[in-house]
Amino acid sequence: MVKKKEKYDFSLYEYHNLMNQNILVSYKGPIDERIMTVIGENILLVTNDGGDKAKNKIFKVFMELAQNVWLYSAESCKLENGKSVGLGTLVVSECGNSYTFVTGNVVNNADVVPVIEKCETINSLDRDSLREYRREQRRLANEGKPNSGNIGLIQVALTAESPLDIELTPVNDDESFLSIAVKISKDNFRNS
Amino acid sequence: MNDIHIKGVHEAFFVPTVNFDSKTGICELEGESYLEETIKFYTPLFAWIKEYTETVKGPLHFNFKLSYFNTSSSKCLVDILDMLKKYQKEGGDVEVNWYYDDSEEELEEVEDFILETGLDINIIPISEEQK
Repeated sequence: MVKKKEKYDFSLYEYHNLMNQNILVSYKGPIDERIMTVIGENILLVTNDGGDKAKNKIFKVFMELAQNVWLYSAESCKLENGKSVGLGTLVVSECGNSYTFVTGNVVNNADVVPVIEKCETINSLDRDSLREYRREQRRLANEGKPNSGNIGLIQVALTAESPLDIELTPVNDDESFLSIAVKISKDNFRNS
Repeated sequence: MNDIHIKGVHEAFFVPTVNFDSKTGICELEGESYLEETIKFYTPLFAWIKEYTETVKGPLHFNFKLSYFNTSSSKCLVDILDMLKKYQKEGGDVEVNWYYDDSEEELEEVEDFILETGLDINIIPISEEQK
């Protein structure tokens, strides 16, 4: 008897169409430093207006946001080399005069409060105060996270010259999905 | 005392070029800094500065020519600048040049390094250096 073919319950076509809406790059999966570099350099290929300074800005924002997923995602997987890395999603879109970078990952509810508070602090500060906050937080780095500068999100806001847009969606009693979006106006490329 | 020479690499990680010369005291950090283990990479550089400032006690002339560094590298750069400031306070001859690519943001970052460490840093646009 021929075994009945199981229907694949996922429309790649719909996914593809969804991804066509001004989305330049999207990725879901393990995020470690190697993957970040490859995606980061690909992003530079599709956001090629504004010259070297713009590229530097885009790359910096992407790397810090992606590193946040790698360091703080509650979901992780083991790579071939035995290293455990965070799982998450990255999307870069272009709309009119700006690029938007969004990263998302599952976080433990117990860990999320400091991240939200940090984002709120960042959004409440003007540029000079934000620079002061970066100096202060950098001094507190390496406590618990040896490869973290403790200032990734502050750096993102300073480089993008734009506030952080955060959204928290409950997944279950213990975990939520945290997404952090930031916009970079192409006007900033001319000023940088 | 040994010198440190590390050739810069731009692959999955970005290793900066490092040249620390114990005879002349001229030290250069150049390229990009985005490392697999940031502290592990910078620890021998800290150790070199410590040994030089405690045993050789000669002049130190630092040139930073970094086109990209991530935030965890920036923490280590501040640690280097702190060590240089300490040496200067103890009477050491220290000069620091920071070459930047005319971007307002990078200029702000170096200004913040000055505020953070209290060390005088000569900020030099790369375009000026090439004149």
